[in-house]
Amino acid sequence: MIRVKEGDLLRLPSILGEMGYRVIVPTEGNGVTKFADFTSGARMKLDYVRTINSPRDFLLPDGEVLYRYRSTATVTSYGLKIRFPTVEGPCPVTINAEYTAPTERLAFFAIHPCHANSIRYLDRVMLSDPADPYYMARREKMFLAVLECEEGDDYCFCVPAGSWKLEGDHCDILIRRSEDGFLLQPRSEAGERVASRLDMPAEDIPFEERPPKMRGSFSIRASEVEIDRGGVEGLDSCTLCAACTVTCPTCYCSDIEDRFHLVDPSNVERVRRRMSCQRRCYSMIAGGSIFLKTKEERYRWRLKHKFPFSVKAFGIPGCVGCGNCIAFCPAGIDMRRTVGSEQNEG
Amino acid sequence: MKADVNPYVPKSATVVAVKNESLETKTLRLRLYNWKAEFLPGQFVQLLLPGVGEAPFCIASSPSEQKHLDLTIIRRGLVTIASHYMRPGDVVGIRGPFGRPFPVSRMLGKDLLIVGTGIGIAALRSLILFIVEHREEFNEVNLLYGARFPEDLVYRDEMKSWTDKMNLMVTLSKASPEWGGLRGRVTDHLNGVVKGEGQVAILCGSPLVMRSVAGELLGRGIKTDQIFVSLERHMKCGIGKCARCIIPGGWHVCRDGPVFSLDEISLDSIGE
Repeated sequence: MIRVKEGDLLRLPSILGEMGYRVIVPTEGNGVTKFADFTSGARMKLDYVRTINSPRDFLLPDGEVLYRYRSTATVTSYGLKIRFPTVEGPCPVTINAEYTAPTERLAFFAIHPCHANSIRYLDRVMLSDPADPYYMARREKMFLAVLECEEGDDYCFCVPAGSWKLEGDHCDILIRRSEDGFLLQPRSEAGERVASRLDMPAEDIPFEERPPKMRGSFSIRASEVEIDRGGVEGLDSCTLCAACTVTCPTCYCSDIEDRFHLVDPSNVERVRRRMSCQRRCYSMIAGGSIFLKTKEERYRWRLKHKFPFSVKAFGIPGCVGCGNCIAFCPAGIDMRRTVGSEQNEG
Repeated sequence: MKADVNPYVPKSATVVAVKNESLETKTLRLRLYNWKAEFLPGQFVQLLLPGVGEAPFCIASSPSEQKHLDLTIIRRGLVTIASHYMRPGDVVGIRGPFGRPFPVSRMLGKDLLIVGTGIGIAALRSLILFIVEHREEFNEVNLLYGARFPEDLVYRDEMKSWTDKMNLMVTLSKASPEWGGLRGRVTDHLNGVVKGEGQVAILCGSPLVMRSVAGELLGRGIKTDQIFVSLERHMKCGIGKCARCIIPGGWHVCRDGPVFSLDEISLDSIGE
């Protein structure tokens, strides 16, 4: 346990940067808190409650190039023309897919336990057999400094969701506020190494886990049947803007598509793009059949994917109770009304 | 990391033959270079057309032929339309095979009822060819194939060789007056072929038809764990990472399917 002042704590990002990490810190700007790359002039904000993006945006970046290959497309006067590569005779021509594994070392500084648990969920999804090589390369070199949350806002529900608690190795340094500064608890070898660079004496202070204060409490009841039965008040005003899935730290649905360079269309990139279950094309199959037709079906589908489907496929629920989907919904739709019953308001 | 462990990177194959099956359907025969596809009936591959995109297709060739793959493709979307412009010699990418195959071990020695409608027969062809090759290991085999128009029928020339080995019934719902065979939907012709308990049913086709056939079979005493359906979703990754193919019940069609028995999924998750 290391007792530090705020000024010393704010040295951590630059220490991590010197160690070769790409440091992601919560910054303030345009009225929201957002995770962004640490720069010397960054306006870091430690007393935030929620951020508009999440570690997922760095671990599974939108528009990630999976590999590149050459096609025989050419630009003609009437547009893009694609010719398939043709082999004359038995000589094998192959699609030479070129790809490079991501080499950057990510370090997240001062993320909340709910976000750390969202990484735990993404681990279950992406590292289950067969592992996603791009995620795995980033995840293995990642460093995590978690800042404990004191009190949630109107939308937080990490205590009912059980994600205020940190599991095992999903944290390298745990930071907690104390009366006159912060307490640092290194939890892994990498954490010890980084903490030792602060040159502060370690003390023996009792350190027990305590949940953040919640403004309301409710219990989550989210089996498939309960979500089908749950009320969906306010869904009429849903605009299908997909803000719920964009800001969710555990939404990982994706689309893989070919992307050309318009100048040289023979260079093709296979790109992984983020996809949202609120969109029409999400469930479309060949011929145009759609499985999720209405707003209500898509809304319930998102919740089913978060709770019963994730528990079945990966063993843990996909909702970490950060409340982003409620806080950033322009229509004010509250999924807590569908999956849980409020016990005592306020 | 080596390229061969990256599940997103395709292997190369060459189109060696293109066969017109019907007005909208072609079968591409793909030859694989320097690799073998070890697959079982019911598994699928992701076909990459360079510069166009990728789409999943059930393998339609016999599992004993591992030097080439047959994919029967109907014109429907971007990739499928582009695939109809392929000529022998064109290079494509193949990922896979993926998915859980038909449980052949649970079919040995049993009466089989195979119901395919429309292009769904393509996903069943691999199983049919397997049965033709190992006919003595199965009991009575009935194949019920439904389509709309006579022009929609695929594998017409091969069906003659299938009829020696199994009872093949072809029914058309919108038959022309010259059509001499059965008329109507597949559900109209279940009477003679459903044996009840002990029979294994394998369904593939349009979700609506599969649902009504499955409901009918359940009503006639076939147990839920004896009815297998092959589902269709537009998988993007094939390995359970893109979450595009989740069906009610929380199954990933790409990883846990595409073949499901009806005790695993409800009739509703087949779709409509």
